Amino acid sequence: MWHNVKKQTLSSEARLAKIERDKEKIHSYNKLKDEIFKIRNEGSHTVEFLNKLTDLLGLNPEFYTIWNIRRETLSSLFHQHQLDSQSTLEDELKFVMVLMKRYPKCYWIWNHRLWCLFQLGKDANWEFELGIVSKLLSMDERNFHGWQYRRVVIENLETHDDLENLKINLQEFKFTSSKVNSNISNFSAWHNRSKLIPKVYHLVGKLNYQDEPLFQSKESLLLHELTLVNTGMYVDIDDSSIWVYLEWLLSDCFFIDELSNDKYHDILNDQLKIINELNDLEITDNGKDNCWCLKAMIIINELLDNRSAVRPLLEKLIDIDPLRRGRYIDQLDSF
Amino acid sequence: MTLLSKKHIDYVVNLNSEMSKQSYEHWLSEHLRMNGLYWGIMTLVTLKSLDSLPRQSIIDFVLSCVDKRSGGFGAYPQHDGHILSTLSAVQILSILGALDELDKESVIKFTKNLQLPNGSFQGDSFGETDTRFVYTALSILSILEGLEEELVNKSLDYLKQCENFDGAYGMRPGAESHGAQVFTVIASFAICNRLDLVNDKLSSWLSERQVKNGGLNGRPEKLPDVCYSWWILSPLAILKKLKWIDLSKLEQFILDCQDDEGGVSDRKGNQTDVYHTCFSLTGLSIINDELYEGNKYDMDSIDPVYCMPYSATKTFKPWPYKS
Ligand SMILES: [Zn+2]
Repeated sequence: MWHNVKKQTLSSEARLAKIERDKEKIHSYNKLKDEIFKIRNEGSHTVEFLNKLTDLLGLNPEFYTIWNIRRETLSSLFHQHQLDSQSTLEDELKFVMVLMKRYPKCYWIWNHRLWCLFQLGKDANWEFELGIVSKLLSMDERNFHGWQYRRVVIENLETHDDLENLKINLQEFKFTSSKVNSNISNFSAWHNRSKLIPKVYHLVGKLNYQDEPLFQSKESLLLHELTLVNTGMYVDIDDSSIWVYLEWLLSDCFFIDELSNDKYHDILNDQLKIINELNDLEITDNGKDNCWCLKAMIIINELLDNRSAVRPLLEKLIDIDPLRRGRYIDQLDSF
Repeated sequence: MTLLSKKHIDYVVNLNSEMSKQSYEHWLSEHLRMNGLYWGIMTLVTLKSLDSLPRQSIIDFVLSCVDKRSGGFGAYPQHDGHILSTLSAVQILSILGALDELDKESVIKFTKNLQLPNGSFQGDSFGETDTRFVYTALSILSILEGLEEELVNKSLDYLKQCENFDGAYGMRPGAESHGAQVFTVIASFAICNRLDLVNDKLSSWLSERQVKNGGLNGRPEKLPDVCYSWWILSPLAILKKLKWIDLSKLEQFILDCQDDEGGVSDRKGNQTDVYHTCFSLTGLSIINDELYEGNKYDMDSIDPVYCMPYSATKTFKPWPYKS
């Protein structure tokens, strides 16, 4: 599967030269592979065998069967006390790190890293892992494996001590703040934030923890997040992340269940006003409404039960957002 | 641009030619061979040209990939059984009408054994869990009529936990929403006859994946990629919301991603591969069915739940089974 790779057109000489070069590579790769399967079928697990597996994985880390054979072999060597598991697994983590740098998107390498850490059990250094993944996410801020790995690391840093867990998750919350502050379009960070807010709030309440003013009430949290989103709208009005996050803030029962009806309506009306003003600026600057502003106004008006305000907004969207015309027509019809 | 059907057929037929075997990359991709064969076959099925490949040698190859120790299929002879290659093998045999050649009981057992107590599925006995594997398992079991109530309920419970604040789904509870994951969850709900579980926000989320040039992306603020012509379009088809995006613009985007020499790439001008060729053309077939009653592209119809031709899926027993 190729992603983001420009098509290469080789001249016929270059093509022939590649075929010539590949001959030797294919030969040694297949020789190594055949040897490995032969040894596996004989069931012999030795340290020399591990070296062959290292060589093959260096050539092709996507070869999942070889990772399986490696784990089988390691487990068997530990079991027979031919290798010390702790030092071997620590070396294994270094080996994996080298491969991760060369192949940052290969799923199997991450998978094997976790296996090593789980084998290490209480000797695993999850703080070190957190450092690695923070560095990775500073280089590639939406790397899917990176964010997933980060959540696994956090799960493993968590203990039975609620206060410790609160601190870990507060630190994670602050990590997402720094990510969205440096780039408002980092949806991966917004996403993680949506998971952390209820979690941290719950722990703060359970421990009656006073040092974090932001988490003392859902209302203060909501207002804080709305300010953040409103700032984001002015930074980049066409960034979808903030609008998706706004809808969550204004409609999720976590935030609104404890608000009085009056307070909720005030908040909705405030947001409507802010978005209206922003949209007016867009009309002045670009001569037309902004799609995201209109979509947000629809959501808020529906939450306010202002159904009569929704129809003209949908009619405008049919004009200015032709890609999703069919959706707006369906929504109009449902009136 | 027109559809280069003939070129794509030749492209698929030549994937395993002596010439391809001269390239090192061909040998490095053995671990994807079973999936690749399925992608190639689906490309040909969509273009009504399945007879361009020798039926019996395909069946022989598939059966040679059985991993006797696990009961599943590997991607290539001697490779370990994995749930992804097992689904491809079962799909291929089903499309070729050769399911009788399969030891169904052992594949069903292999698949069921991969379910964990929380309802998720592992890819193999070492593997991680992923919503993809839940779909893979449900699809295998549905094709082989091996679904069971407890397994289905646990799977659904797990998938529900993967729902996010945007109404879409991630690969695990807590993980960010992603287009490919949305397909696997919605198609799983469809297999289990539980589309009522879908969040109302989802169709809007799916429609927001279309970007200005007509292509679809997999997550907000990402570039479009032709493979999402399947991952995003098929859930829209299952939810009967195809009109919520501009299909003609997507059609144009897909056609533009074709290579003059056959095959389709993620974006115009990039390196082609059989994965993107398969999922762009199966996506195009959904558009073809929706927009052109006269079958403009002369394509076969593809079932959005299984990514297989209706001619194969129409015989699958719907869940819940009647006793
Ligand atoms: Zn792609």
